[in-house]
Amino acid sequence: MTSAVIAPLAIEIHPGEHPEGHFLGMTFNLDTIWVTVVAGAIVVALGFWARAKLTEETPDHVPTKIQLVWETIIDQVTTQVTANLGKVNPFVIPLATALFFFILIANWLEVIPTELNSDTHLLPSPTADTNLTYAMAALVIVGVWTFGVRQKGLKGYLKHFLEPYPYLLPLNILEELVKPITLALRLFGNIFAGGIMLGLIAGLVSLAPSNIPVGPALAIILNVIWKLFDTMFLGGLQAFIFALLTVLYFGMAGGDHGDHDEQDEHVQHDQAEQKSAEPEPAH
Amino acid sequence: MVHVTAGLIPLASNFLVPNGTFFVELIAFGIIVWLLAKFVIPPINRAMTARQDAIKKEFADLEEAKAAAHKAEEEFKAQIADARHEAAKIREEAREQGAQIVGEAREQAQAEAARIVEHGHAQVRAERQQAVASLRAEVGTLAIDLAGRIVGESLDDDERSTRVVDRFLADVESMQAAEATAQDGDR
Repeated sequence: MTSAVIAPLAIEIHPGEHPEGHFLGMTFNLDTIWVTVVAGAIVVALGFWARAKLTEETPDHVPTKIQLVWETIIDQVTTQVTANLGKVNPFVIPLATALFFFILIANWLEVIPTELNSDTHLLPSPTADTNLTYAMAALVIVGVWTFGVRQKGLKGYLKHFLEPYPYLLPLNILEELVKPITLALRLFGNIFAGGIMLGLIAGLVSLAPSNIPVGPALAIILNVIWKLFDTMFLGGLQAFIFALLTVLYFGMAGGDHGDHDEQDEHVQHDQAEQKSAEPEPAH
Repeated sequence: MVHVTAGLIPLASNFLVPNGTFFVELIAFGIIVWLLAKFVIPPINRAMTARQDAIKKEFADLEEAKAAAHKAEEEFKAQIADARHEAAKIREEAREQGAQIVGEAREQAQAEAARIVEHGHAQVRAERQQAVASLRAEVGTLAIDLAGRIVGESLDDDERSTRVVDRFLADVESMQAAEATAQDGDR
């Protein structure tokens, strides 16, 4: 029976496979959509609960504990953001808040052990599907571009592609395209890898060197450690990074990067280039 | 070397390529953002701002009340000072008035005393004169009677007797005057 010791561990993981539905000639990842709905419902319910708690009237205007905590956080964030970026579009705050809490809940759903068998996973993190992260990144970058154009005017906004030097135009365009893609893939990669790790850890169950079944205990311990570290901690961190970068991108789009009026004549030419470049990240 | 041919990984199962789920997610996430932006965040911000405003207002009210209290205290102090000043003035006036009254009373008393003394003097003078007159009348008669008895002759002759008495009285008066002068000289 020595062959059992060196036999390869039978691990069956299917990264990127989803139960699919088809409609109008398009494929839909049903699990992603389902968990998005669940996470969204939790976020909205939390939001309404927070609203009830935070708008509570107290005698003598003494804030409750949760109100005090919330106001402290909001105060800090507002101070930091305005100190670094100046005045921020009021649309940014709800967007960043929604992004943070939605990603947080979506990531944390992975903690709940809902993988009944290798085919049925009730609540996989929807953030481990590029469809969701692309969608959120697209929403952010379209918002950033809209905000930038509104703040500086189309001409003023396009001008910043020539700054600080006109020959940096390709890099500036690249940067603008890289922003949403990195935003989407950073989150996806982290959560997707976390899911794969959980699958690999689960596969350790059959590990039994010298017929001693250490596998199950090891799998449970590693599972707990990994869920605490990756799913809880890194999941929260990723949510925070996504929201923070959103605020930063808005701030960069609205902020001033110095005036270079002599480069005005290039703008018309660049405009056409930019138009063709913009739709790309969404697909 | 790993050769990836086009057919190895079909696009449909390549998880980097988005599919229809993308649009569903876009809409779903849009709805979440809309719900938060519409129903959750504004009321929370409003409540927070309202509470902070209320607290600020309470602080302002407090400041106002403090200022009012200060003002009232100052007014009170000023009034107290006024009252003290007034009291001092009244006291001063009273003292002056008292002194005046005392002075007047003293003057009056002195006048009265002088009047009484004067009156006494006058009375004494009058009585003396009266006494002198009656003496003058009686001393003459008595002396003549006495002298008549002694010398045995009547001194009924008025003209003569009067002359004698007058001379005697003049002698007495001159003696008195001489005594007075002598007394004056002794001093």
